[in-house]
Amino acid sequence: MAKCSTLMSEQKQHENVPVYEFMDVNSKEFHVGTFRDLWLDVLNPEVYSYSDTASEIEDVGFIEEMGIEPKTLEELKSICRDTVDRHEVYANEMEMISVGKKPDNLRDLIPEGEIILTFNIMYPILFQRFKHVRAYQTLQVLGSQKLSDLRDAICCVSDLQVFGEFSNNPDMVPQFISKDHYKSAFFFFNGTFFNDTRFPECQDISTTTQEWARTRDFPEFKTAKMEDTSFYDLKMKVGFPYLYTHQGDCEHVVILTDVRLVHRDDCLDIKLYPLITHKHRVVTRKCSVCHLYISRWITTNDAFAPTEPCLFCDQCFRMFHYDDEGNKLGDFLAYAYVDPGTFN
Amino acid sequence: MDHFREPVKADCEELLGRFQATESVRYEQFVQIWKDMDFSSIFHGKPELNERRRFARLILSVVSPYFLPPYTFQIRVGGLYLLYGLFNTQLATPREKIRIALKDWNDVTQFQKDAVNAQHYDVVYVFRKLLSDKAFYFTAMPTPLNFRIKREDGKRRKICEEFVDPPSRPQELVTTDVLEEIANIHEHYEGLKKATFTEPDPNLDIVQQNLVPKLNSTILTYCNWQINHTKSEQQDAGEGPSNQEASKSRRHRQTELVSEAAPDISQKVSSKKKRFPSLKTRTQLRFKTQGKSCPPR
Repeated sequence: MAKCSTLMSEQKQHENVPVYEFMDVNSKEFHVGTFRDLWLDVLNPEVYSYSDTASEIEDVGFIEEMGIEPKTLEELKSICRDTVDRHEVYANEMEMISVGKKPDNLRDLIPEGEIILTFNIMYPILFQRFKHVRAYQTLQVLGSQKLSDLRDAICCVSDLQVFGEFSNNPDMVPQFISKDHYKSAFFFFNGTFFNDTRFPECQDISTTTQEWARTRDFPEFKTAKMEDTSFYDLKMKVGFPYLYTHQGDCEHVVILTDVRLVHRDDCLDIKLYPLITHKHRVVTRKCSVCHLYISRWITTNDAFAPTEPCLFCDQCFRMFHYDDEGNKLGDFLAYAYVDPGTFN
Repeated sequence: MDHFREPVKADCEELLGRFQATESVRYEQFVQIWKDMDFSSIFHGKPELNERRRFARLILSVVSPYFLPPYTFQIRVGGLYLLYGLFNTQLATPREKIRIALKDWNDVTQFQKDAVNAQHYDVVYVFRKLLSDKAFYFTAMPTPLNFRIKREDGKRRKICEEFVDPPSRPQELVTTDVLEEIANIHEHYEGLKKATFTEPDPNLDIVQQNLVPKLNSTILTYCNWQINHTKSEQQDAGEGPSNQEASKSRRHRQTELVSEAAPDISQKVSSKKKRFPSLKTRTQLRFKTQGKSCPPR
């Protein structure tokens, strides 16, 4: 029996070594937690620790292990030193602001041997210009974090939409946004729907898809809770597209691009994760009148407007459509507009 | 940035080719070639700050495969030294790391063990130095994957034939153990035949009588043909026979710095057929022609 179980555990370990499913495209699926254990089993902890071993201790270790004379080591050092030039230049890139950041409070330090997963979240296709270049944002999460942490960190403009027609009461734009109203969301990874069930308003919006799938020839899909699952519990394929849906029908393609052990030069402050390392910037749409300010109103059926629909900034909107007493002039419908470039 | 991949690969193969020609695994030899080619200037082509990091990432991912099988031990040592040089001379700060996937870690540890057993202390020292400088990312896959399907004209994965041991499948199939077993079975079979039939019936002679000696001689002929074939193709010394004992002793030979090897190298390099001219050569050619077209003042 014992032999059988060791064989099984060896096989389980072998299955969780990531390999290509299609060369240079994506990997086969593997269990993230087991992958991390496999790396930690084969590595000397010094190799992934944040601190450096003192060079004297390293030298002594090397001499003893190799069984060489100290003067041989000195010879090696003199031959193998960096004989080539080095330029110390500071690269001040926007994405690298957080690199190497150490937390003030040591309790917020990421433990050594933690896994960092890098996700590319594509923007949903709404714009013509995204036909050539697929816009995305890159988020880094820790293996110990929950899926709900990732969900909260994704910035999508559809979360900020305000519904309602306000031509009659432009000052009464409510403060609530779609993010507060429609809280349901799910991730779809490898045949399992992970639903957000933290709030009572959250519904399981994946049931529609699951019922539809049952009537066709699809394998059975499972459900789980987003806030109870950490990334270590997942079985994922690297480089394979998955799905994130929120607001009922706002769908984002999510690709896991990289899984690796945390490194000394990464951002080590646990409070900053999930960390945004890349975001595609969107050109903001300006008011049709002044071409200066970012538009906040969109009107339809407007007799005054040159186009249908038409964008206005707040000041131009009021000057155009209301008189000094605040009475509505003409016939139109006005909606609050949130520009996708809000997140720039 | 991807359009730099081909030229970068060509330059790295040029350097590794020269290193292979020295028939040594000593770091001093490598540094000599590096200085001759002024290889660290490969990073000076892109002065923009954000491009530096992307270029460093590209060149490290191009060179990493040379550190792993199926390349020969010497090429793998050259790959390690090249990674060491590139890691330390890159212009991005903080330094861009070298990615090692879990599936390749066993090969890396085996390589280190081989180096230790053969007492190539400089190889071991360089690898240890990279580890202690925290030069590696321990990852799931060798490169970040973004589900790029439309790519590939096969050039990306092309392995330089000269850097790999010549194929030895026949020799791996027919080893001495296998030959012994076949001889045993053959004897058994003949014994059974004699026991069943008192008179040997010529119709029952289906199997060749001297199967085992024939197999042996065929393999040896193939081996010799391979040696002669590779020798005639490459004028400089390649890895030659796939016979494990012979090539191992050649690889692990401790050669001293041979000064007369230097003028030979340039000759041998020029005699290699199908060698894409390096960046340095192409630049010189371009400037020479430009100089000629300038009118004298």
